[in-house]
Amino acid sequence: MDESPPPPPPDDAPDAQTPPPPQPHTTHTGSPTDFLKGVVGKKVIVRLNSGVDYRGVLSCLDGYMNIALEQTEEHVEGNVTNRYGDAFIRGNNVLYISAAEAIL
Amino acid sequence: MDGSSSGIQEPFDLIRLSLSERVFVKLRGDREMTGILHAYDGHMNLILSDVEETIMIVNEGEQATVSVAKRKMDMLFVRGDGVILVSPPSRT
Repeated sequence: MDESPPPPPPDDAPDAQTPPPPQPHTTHTGSPTDFLKGVVGKKVIVRLNSGVDYRGVLSCLDGYMNIALEQTEEHVEGNVTNRYGDAFIRGNNVLYISAAEAIL
Repeated sequence: MDGSSSGIQEPFDLIRLSLSERVFVKLRGDREMTGILHAYDGHMNLILSDVEETIMIVNEGEQATVSVAKRKMDMLFVRGDGVILVSPPSRT
């Protein structure tokens, strides 16, 4: 150990006195339920636990997260593997629902 | 914006409107089937008739290949927890 002690860590790290800055870009606040109400009738991507994606227009959903989709494309590893005019997805398989277009 | 275009209020309406029609069912374990839908319940237990089941079998090896097995059944009870997706016939 012939070196001088290392310099102290940079002092610009946020400390306890500084409140976290507001996040101006997150304009959509609300509960998960509000989000789901907002995406009904919109294009969504539904990912299942298996990794399969379903892209389509969300017709409706219920408390079990059972989902009815219209104009559905099934995507497996980036490839379209099936198309359905309507599709019912059993809620237990759902990993997430992603909005694929702007929601109000 | 409720139910969008087709007048569906809840997902099970899609299934109710498919009674007596041929439906496509995607199941766990790389299985798919089509059959005439006779009955269903809130678990998505299904009664299907005139069923053709398609089973995708992945053969492990240097070059993974997929083979397909099919079988037919006259009448079938499908336990709901195996169901991933149900698609009614396309309505025009």
